[in-house]
Amino acid sequence: MLLGIDVGGTFTDAVLIDGDVICSMAKSETTPDILGGILLSLDRLFSAEKLDKEIIDAEKMRITRVVISSTIVTNALVENKIDQVFLAVMAGPGMSTKGQFPVEPYLATGYIDHRGKVITAEAIDYDLVKKMATGKKVAAVSGKFSVRNQINEKALRGDLKKCNFLKIFSGSELSGELNFIRRTNSAYFSAAVYTKYADFIRQIKKSLNEREINAPVHILKADGGTLPLEASLEQPVEAVFTGPAASVLGIEALKPPSVNTISLDVGGTTTDIAFWEKGQPLMSPKGAVLAGFNTAVRAFHMRSLGLGGDSVIIRTKEGFVVGPERAGRAMALGGRAPTLSDAFITLGLVSFGEGRLAREAMKLYARGEETEKQVAHAVVEAAVKKIKRTIDEMVYQWGIQPVYTVNDIIAGNLFKPELLIGVGGAAPGLVKALGDYMHLPVEIPVGAMVANAIGAALAKPTLTATLRADTTENYYIIPEAGIKAKLPHYFNKQVAQELLTAWLQAAANKWQIIAPVAEIVAYEEFATIHDYISSGKIIYLKMQLQPGVLSHVIGREVAF
Amino acid sequence: MPNLGLVFFPAFDWMISPTHPERQERLLYTRDQLLEEGIFDLPQIREYRPRMASIKDLERVHIGIPSIAKLITPAHLVSAGGCLTAADAVMRGEVKCAFALVRPPGHHAMRVVYGIRGFCTINIEAVMVEYLRSKYGVKKIAIVDTDVHHGDGSQDIFYHDPDVLYISFHQDGRTLYPGTGFPNEAGSPAALGMNLNLPLLPGTGDEGIHRLFDGLIRPVLDEFNPEIIINSAGQDNHFSDPLASMNVTAQGYASLAAKLKADIAVLEGGYSVEAALPYVNTGIVLAMAGMDYSQVIEPDQTALHLQSTECNQRVDQLIDQVGQLWTDREILRKEAMSKCGRQWQRNKSIYYDEEGISENQRETAHYCENCSGYLTIETTAANTRFGDQNAYIVVFNRDTCSICRENAVALALKAKKTGKWDNILIQDKTKSIVANI
Repeated sequence: MLLGIDVGGTFTDAVLIDGDVICSMAKSETTPDILGGILLSLDRLFSAEKLDKEIIDAEKMRITRVVISSTIVTNALVENKIDQVFLAVMAGPGMSTKGQFPVEPYLATGYIDHRGKVITAEAIDYDLVKKMATGKKVAAVSGKFSVRNQINEKALRGDLKKCNFLKIFSGSELSGELNFIRRTNSAYFSAAVYTKYADFIRQIKKSLNEREINAPVHILKADGGTLPLEASLEQPVEAVFTGPAASVLGIEALKPPSVNTISLDVGGTTTDIAFWEKGQPLMSPKGAVLAGFNTAVRAFHMRSLGLGGDSVIIRTKEGFVVGPERAGRAMALGGRAPTLSDAFITLGLVSFGEGRLAREAMKLYARGEETEKQVAHAVVEAAVKKIKRTIDEMVYQWGIQPVYTVNDIIAGNLFKPELLIGVGGAAPGLVKALGDYMHLPVEIPVGAMVANAIGAALAKPTLTATLRADTTENYYIIPEAGIKAKLPHYFNKQVAQELLTAWLQAAANKWQIIAPVAEIVAYEEFATIHDYISSGKIIYLKMQLQPGVLSHVIGREVAF
Repeated sequence: MPNLGLVFFPAFDWMISPTHPERQERLLYTRDQLLEEGIFDLPQIREYRPRMASIKDLERVHIGIPSIAKLITPAHLVSAGGCLTAADAVMRGEVKCAFALVRPPGHHAMRVVYGIRGFCTINIEAVMVEYLRSKYGVKKIAIVDTDVHHGDGSQDIFYHDPDVLYISFHQDGRTLYPGTGFPNEAGSPAALGMNLNLPLLPGTGDEGIHRLFDGLIRPVLDEFNPEIIINSAGQDNHFSDPLASMNVTAQGYASLAAKLKADIAVLEGGYSVEAALPYVNTGIVLAMAGMDYSQVIEPDQTALHLQSTECNQRVDQLIDQVGQLWTDREILRKEAMSKCGRQWQRNKSIYYDEEGISENQRETAHYCENCSGYLTIETTAANTRFGDQNAYIVVFNRDTCSICRENAVALALKAKKTGKWDNILIQDKTKSIVANI
């Protein structure tokens, strides 16, 4: 049996899944300390229908894995409850890094070029470092092109040992991909949330122990994969934005769309939008953006829009504006200000609360002869148009992904949606209206109320790694593993694949992940030419343990 | 609004041959550098995916024999299309300027095309110029060619066009392919002074090209006051380029881009793929995006030399000589027009280095009092992919009047009757077609 826990902004959900059956579900309010809510949900999960302690204990024994999806990292960043970080970078010549990082970095000496050659060796001014590092418990280091050669980054890390940091994160170990600024920011944010995250993990372990659940515990990452708690301590930043990821996986588990689809998770405050192709959610071509800074965190191609059932409505000269602020509960439920939900209730798109109060809410905005329904229509139209604009921007962003070959251009990259899927409380109203506007069919899957916890419970473990080999320089590197070694005597794509698969399998074994087959995500091979003579090859390979869900489940509705 | 629209298309699946300078790897290290710097994430830059140009887009410029479609690969449609994408981005006001960082290149491709010459089949800037005219009605255009090779294709195409100012500085043709590009090639009588060639001594560096820009190119551009400035942004003046002998650095190129303020830049040559292109391209991109490029410095500068004093002497001589030509252009034009009467003719022998094709061409400009007239071209070529080829060609300009059209068609029919020609072709730019009659 699999246990999934989703700690959302408002609710903490828990589900227990056996094969394709949802055995039980529980919901409780999220508490400020997070753990209170988790414990309460667990207690409800195991007491709801079965009072017999023996049955409960037997069930707990059968749990093979616990996955937690939590807003802890996101919240720490939003609320700025993060540690001060000593950031040291080796930017070398190139673009100015001014303003690209959350803090002004210490600029260490050292430069690696695009072929991985050391142009300048690493060096620091220790007195200055000591001064800048005063009062900082954690550090992050990063160098341009360190994914091609980690020697400078490792040396810098070694030099900083004297400063006795609790933990030092290296950019090139967090991502093997090119983008110095994103890797640096990933390392910075990992360091910034480290102590808070480590504390969270200690508490999770403690509380699960208290409830006698001894199965391995994983954390959900932004890319929809899971990692064992201990392993996640090496990359805490990956645990950001897990809520939207959990929702995407929930949809995949409940009703994977077979056509090109846009899914919308409509909550009280926000709507999370994701794209699907051939039953798979699309990954963002770049990394996630945290607190306004680009990172290398792998994430779905998603947007979180400040618009939901509880969104405030304002009428301006140009028309209605919906969100991004939250007004609180709908007036139909006794709230004080008109919300988007009141408009849906007035139009009969959803039915909860008191219809009379919802209509009165609309009346507050009526001008002249306008009826409540006309006002509600205008409000919904404004909300729908706002979502459509975000969708258009996402389609554009997807369409301009870098293309490197004529074949890619001919194949095209236009995303054409054929279906809308809505989950979350306010989905029936909003997504149906959007479907009308975009002339697309709409599906609201059964069981959508706890889709996030279901997604967390069923998420597959994932790992990603990259290998780059340069046969002229006679080496290969796997930055995520910190490996740089001489090439074997015979080398080609297949050998590269074997080397990388071996490392992925070893890492999976170390963390006791039942590893599915590693798949190739990207491959490039170039002949290098010097003086008109072929001098060797550059091979780049990226592989991953495929993300997704372990099994599909049959949804059911429960009133909490 | 972002400052720069960037169309990046390295064509990793296109090459002339595996060890040719125009091979798959050419922009690999540039791609790596741009990605690693995080260039594509900058709010000052908006990325565009290139579209594919149509055959019609190409036929507004080129007359392919036997047909343009038979001579190109899909990659040519993408690199030309990338330029059109860049043009659209600027003309729609989505970005202030744009850079089509695409390959294959184009500035050696002439009006008549039999195959590949100087790595080029399609003149992608020229295709863009004709697109700007037919789609957006742009009239006055300046092209500044900063490739180390003389852009003989661009010169050929715009030689009779008084509304296109073509300025090229390059390594002296006596020391480098294609061997042309001297100040006396200044345009046909109706467009005299609109083709400015500035051959530099080998070894000229940042100092020389900036002296030339400040002393001549800037004032000429200011006086011409074009609606659009295009930069044929070749990068082979770099000190490490294997095909040429100049001494320009990434800083030299970037600061030139910052001064020129081109509306649209298009990549041309540049074959120091590891030591120069990553840095020169990063520098140009940052400069066009209005950002700090001062730290973009090649790590290996061992091949960089100070330019000799003769280099600046040549520059000063060109500023005088070509500056005078520019100042006197109206008078010179009148003189030349009255001297040649209603027709002006030139004979060309064109060699296609890549395919060993020898073409002989006689081009005649027919003048008219009511319009800009038309061209007739008699061309024969040996050793093409399709054997020996020939054609009699009539080219209508946008404003060619009905009388000229009738006269031109009559000439074409007369040529047909001789039985001498395998192809009788009429190019009509307003309809974007090349018809075989």
